Amino acid sequence: MPHSIVVIGGGATGTGTARDLAMRGFNVTLVERGNLTEGTTGRTHGHLHSGARYAVSDQESAVDCMQENRILRDIAGHCIEDTGGLFVQLEGDPDEYFEKKLEDCEECGIPTEVISGEEARRREPYLSANVERAIWVPDGAIDPFRLCVANAADAVDHGATVETHAEVVDVLVDDGSVTGVEIERHGPTYLGKGSEGDIETLQADYVVSATGAWAGQLAEMAGIELKMSISKGAMVVTNVRQLDTVINRCLPKGEGDTIIPHETTVLLGANDDPVDDPDNYPEEQREVDMMIDIAAEMVPVVADARMIRAYWGVRPLYDPDPRSTTDPGDVTRNYFILDHAERDSVEGFASVVGGKLTTYREMSESVADHVCEAFGVDATCRTHEKPLPGSTDPSALDDRMDEFDLRSPIARRSRQRLGDRAPEVLDIDGANPTICACEGVSRAEIQDAIGRVGANLNGVRLQTRASMGNCQGGFCTHRLGAELYLDHERGAARDEIDRLYQERWKGQRHTLWGEQLSQAMLNHMLHATTMNHDADPAVFDDEIDYGAYDSGVAAEGSHGD
Amino acid sequence: MAIESDVLVVGGGISGVTSAVAAARNGADVRLISHKKTTLRQASGLVDGLGYVPGRSQSTDREGSPSQKRRDFREFRDNRSEYWGPLITPFDGIDSLPDGHPYSVLGADALRSGLSLFDDLVGDSYLGGHTEKNALVPTFGGTVKPTARYPRAAAAGIASDNRSMLVAGFRSFTDFDARMVADNLEAAGVPFEVTGAEIAFADLFPADAEVTRFAKALDHDERIDGTPARQALADAVSPHVGDAERVGFPALLGDDNADEVRAELEERLGAAVFEIPTGPPSLPGLRLEDRLYAALDAEGVKYETGCPVVGYETAAGTPSRVETVLVDRSGQEIPYSASAFVLATGGFVGKGLDSDRDRVFEPVFDCHVPQPPDRYDWFVDDAFGDHPYARFGVNPDATMRPLDADGDPEFTNLYAAGSAVGGADVAREKSASGVSLATGAVAGRAAAAAIDDLNLELGTTEI
Amino acid sequence: MTNETNENDDPTAQPRATDGGSAVEPVDDASAGENSEIVEVFPEGDLDLRAGADDCYKCTTCDISCPVAEVDEEFPGPKFQGPEQWRLKRKEDIDIGDSITSCSNCMRCDSACPSDVPLSQMHNEARGEYVDEQMSVLSREYIRNRILSNYRTSARFASKVPRFANFMMNFGPVRWVMEKTLGVTKEREFPEFAEQTFREWWHDRGGAQVQNADKRVAYFHGCYSNYNTPEVAKAMVRVFEYFDYEVLVPPQQCSGTPMFANGMLTDARRHAVTNVTELAATIDDGADIIASCTSCSLSLRQEYPELFDIDRIEDVAGNTFEALEYLRIHEDLEEALSDAELDGQSFAYHGPCHARNQGLHRQAVELFRDVDDVHVEDVGDSCSGISGTYGWKAEKYKTSMKIGEEMFDHLERAEGDTGMTECPTCAMQMEHGTGYEIRHPLQLIEDALLA
Repeated sequence: MPHSIVVIGGGATGTGTARDLAMRGFNVTLVERGNLTEGTTGRTHGHLHSGARYAVSDQESAVDCMQENRILRDIAGHCIEDTGGLFVQLEGDPDEYFEKKLEDCEECGIPTEVISGEEARRREPYLSANVERAIWVPDGAIDPFRLCVANAADAVDHGATVETHAEVVDVLVDDGSVTGVEIERHGPTYLGKGSEGDIETLQADYVVSATGAWAGQLAEMAGIELKMSISKGAMVVTNVRQLDTVINRCLPKGEGDTIIPHETTVLLGANDDPVDDPDNYPEEQREVDMMIDIAAEMVPVVADARMIRAYWGVRPLYDPDPRSTTDPGDVTRNYFILDHAERDSVEGFASVVGGKLTTYREMSESVADHVCEAFGVDATCRTHEKPLPGSTDPSALDDRMDEFDLRSPIARRSRQRLGDRAPEVLDIDGANPTICACEGVSRAEIQDAIGRVGANLNGVRLQTRASMGNCQGGFCTHRLGAELYLDHERGAARDEIDRLYQERWKGQRHTLWGEQLSQAMLNHMLHATTMNHDADPAVFDDEIDYGAYDSGVAAEGSHGD
Repeated sequence: MAIESDVLVVGGGISGVTSAVAAARNGADVRLISHKKTTLRQASGLVDGLGYVPGRSQSTDREGSPSQKRRDFREFRDNRSEYWGPLITPFDGIDSLPDGHPYSVLGADALRSGLSLFDDLVGDSYLGGHTEKNALVPTFGGTVKPTARYPRAAAAGIASDNRSMLVAGFRSFTDFDARMVADNLEAAGVPFEVTGAEIAFADLFPADAEVTRFAKALDHDERIDGTPARQALADAVSPHVGDAERVGFPALLGDDNADEVRAELEERLGAAVFEIPTGPPSLPGLRLEDRLYAALDAEGVKYETGCPVVGYETAAGTPSRVETVLVDRSGQEIPYSASAFVLATGGFVGKGLDSDRDRVFEPVFDCHVPQPPDRYDWFVDDAFGDHPYARFGVNPDATMRPLDADGDPEFTNLYAAGSAVGGADVAREKSASGVSLATGAVAGRAAAAAIDDLNLELGTTEI
Repeated sequence: MTNETNENDDPTAQPRATDGGSAVEPVDDASAGENSEIVEVFPEGDLDLRAGADDCYKCTTCDISCPVAEVDEEFPGPKFQGPEQWRLKRKEDIDIGDSITSCSNCMRCDSACPSDVPLSQMHNEARGEYVDEQMSVLSREYIRNRILSNYRTSARFASKVPRFANFMMNFGPVRWVMEKTLGVTKEREFPEFAEQTFREWWHDRGGAQVQNADKRVAYFHGCYSNYNTPEVAKAMVRVFEYFDYEVLVPPQQCSGTPMFANGMLTDARRHAVTNVTELAATIDDGADIIASCTSCSLSLRQEYPELFDIDRIEDVAGNTFEALEYLRIHEDLEEALSDAELDGQSFAYHGPCHARNQGLHRQAVELFRDVDDVHVEDVGDSCSGISGTYGWKAEKYKTSMKIGEEMFDHLERAEGDTGMTECPTCAMQMEHGTGYEIRHPLQLIEDALLA
């Protein structure tokens, strides 16, 4: 009987750890309080670091990044866009730092190429005329959601169980040893298991907390004091891709100076301000304005470009020596495995904290090693050499795409999103209309996603990018609801429409000016005026006295004479 | 040399047309200039008067900046600020509206006169004028909503009619699932039996064919796979009709010949046929637009579409009077002069209001638009909450002249109508067309009256 | 770049373009094209088109205004073809769906969009890219489209032997061969070539008959009124001379409209260079530029500056007007027409799409509204469906006629049985669908003022 392990947290580290442990033969259960990636992973910048960003200040992280960067390109090709990155030096930026960056990159084994401002603008025409020169590095863009799903799917293929919408409400400790966790369900899992409000106990021989910024709260449930040094960062999303390369400012203390092309958009960010509660912190206008203004120094068109949304993420930073600095920018990006047996005398429990999305696999490997060690199990890690599902060469699919009745840019987007799963997903009976026109998502992809996540439009969104384009769900939320209506209980579709519409509004309200304000008004007119979604009598249990209203022009008007 | 008229209306939506006709009927020589196609093409074609009255106080559901705090949609539903409705008549609620609301400023009679002008312009293509009561009409979101006037094509669908109903949808028409609409209507407690069916129609068309394509095929009764389109549609629905006495479709039953299409379907199905207003893109809106422009022509209003008004000039020595507006004709700025002007350029959707990170503004005359200085006070956290932005617009006096920050008219001869006017959350109130009609009727009349005043004034100064 | 030489060496003696109207026209020197590249508006490719997607708020007003989408279910509509397609592009993505060739370039989407998305510009760019990158220059479509879009070249030869050309072009067996080999529909009658072109007439009459340094216009007659309907061009000259304008007729080539519609941007640019150079010279002579064809005026005003970067192109665009529009701004036309005597004529007026784009489609109706005994009735906003060369393609003929159906209906329902429009190809379609005689508003003004 293999040892049973509960991994808490459905982000990159949690799913990566679940995959690794499952591959090494453990009986793994992953629990996540929301959808996969609902914590920090779904709210990152999506930056596949080359390590160049940390080459001067934090060489250990830099070396890790470069090494993992190479591995991820091998095992997760369909989650990565190989954009390359530039560190740009603007007029007045110090030469010394530029030279130092170059030297230190070399030292960390990060390939570089120095190019002139002119050459940089040839590659990225919207770069400022003030760019004097730039260092090219192998940065990239990474889709954290696809990455997590691929990890989770592979974990399941290796026998793991994934419990989404299951929040850990207690860590069970018996006689100094963790014996499991108690969960409360916020709804059925993606497989439709359980229902809202259910409380269940999951027994475990070992519990790994991969909850990042929430690690302090989790540890507290086991009576352990764990102080995280979390900080928030705002990211602003443009409507179109003005750039196809990751752009960084080549300055010593960078904050909010990274621009990353991501899918159909570009992400600007992120600042670095300490917060106390990862679930409740202010999201401020000044942060949004700051991200735009800083990015515009490097790419001036950004100042007038349409922004469709802003979101905030919380860095899961851990400072082993909290007295060393008060500036979150100085807290190490390194990761730590905290063995609570050693640290707090609580057996069978470890937390993995700190680190970057880019190094998630290495973190997972380390924590899996740690678990193996705890049980004296001799099993080696293979996650660095075994590709994730979907990552085989997507270009081999090109010829098959016409079969699916998709207009070419939509087919292309489907292919980019689905990797080698495309033919299987798109092969459906009957019409395959486009449901989300902004992101080019067809019914087949939506139905596939509903099959995977159930009556959960937010989950469908994360799988497919539906509702993540310029109308922010204005034109597709109700269509998505209609897609899940048939196979789910009455009312579920209506509730999911409201849930997704509110979720989309949450990010969109931060960029409410110019075209996005017009968009918001149009969405408001469509949903409130035309559909009356805000006052739906079915939702609000209002008894309507239908007889009191106009019942038609007696006989002649209503019989279609 | 400027192109001249007595009254020049800037904007060609429902409020522009209404004010132009109102001015023309009061004796003015009127010209209307409109830049793009109207937002009617995005709207449902229903003419709402007033359906709900939001709370008098404008609430805001947070203090300081928003937060990432996890909140369920149900929390928003439960805490949504009070509002009453659906109102049995639009006139029931006018006294309860906030002070700055156009209905509060103009009074109930303005709405009555706007609606009656509308009835006059659209003739028998719209119903609802026989009563002051609101009609409850099924929406494609599966709800019912209160409206003052509805197109004849939607008439057989009203919810206060006890006849049993079938809702028909198409597999490739993604905006609604007919079974879901039927289910939701039932949940809304409608007083009749309702079922939904998904039917196969024009399956040969690619999945993303435009609604206008379906409409055209039905208009001309084109053969689709050998069968005339109307027959093909009737054949596809027939097996599902059962005892239903009326059948509802997405609003794509023809354009030019919509009445004919409906009549033939009714005959073939032996049941009344109606459309559930859908859109955008909205065929009912398109049909209404056509009808309003035909009326405009018949009323003798000159109009031109396709070019924007980009600026204005005031009379020498009287900066408070607009003398000409400048029309951008593919690069050339052509002056148009008039004695009075109507601003009917629309709201954020129609682009009569614009904004940047710092402010909201009215781009043609730069009229004062009251607004909180902090952008984060333009909205609330509930997507369907009481958003200040939804009420943005110019602030008019009782003759619809926009007022400046001090409460004085921006110009002596400029009037405003429609969504450019602030004070109403037309989406939540279900009052969009009503506000346009009421403000349009008043602004048009006031503009026509102003010419007489002006002529008088100029006449005396000449002596 | 043109090898047209100026016959008048002393520019101060007389504006150079009133050269007595050289009947010899500028030759379309194809070799000029080889050295002349399209100046890319967006030097690094499609970036600005992606940014153009910023303005789209998905309202679909463009789709519901598209005459092609309404009859051709395969056509995805302007919203997809424009902002959506561009937004989904990444740097390395180049493939453009062939549905772009189904767009007829009527540009209705431009005048529909409430949000200023540069739809026709996106379509033109995409079509140009499609033709350049994805269409074989040996394909039948390419050769046919090139011939159709270079109408001026064929017309110039045909007009040298007009009677022969008129016979041959409509001779059954020839048309059968043309359809089979080139895909030019045999359903349509080719327009007749005039026995005397406008330029020949202009030259024979000795050029301008009014000299007036204060009121000067340069006439961009375009190809059609030169080769096929010189009576329109003559009406334009006579009406302007009636109002005491000095008319210049500068050397000129095709406005580019048919080339944009076929993605032949290199050809279009070559012609544009000549036109801009010659027209800019007339501006220096104090002239405004006038066109009697609404597609020509639209091209000079809107498409030129959107698509090309040629010295003084903005200047030309900013000084171009449609003939009637110009008179309405500068003359009291209504007053001049108030005494006109026209005996009881009724016209069914069709507003061309390209006139709508410039805000001009109501001016003829309005102008004659108060003239006794004339009734000009607007038959509504349907598209004629021919869109220049579009309706000439065998595979597009049916679509073209299907679009036109509504207009034919409305024309027949209207009181008059003479048609009226400003656009020569709309006129062709109106005649084809109804058998009506079609007149240009300028001809009616000529009748009213000069009869």
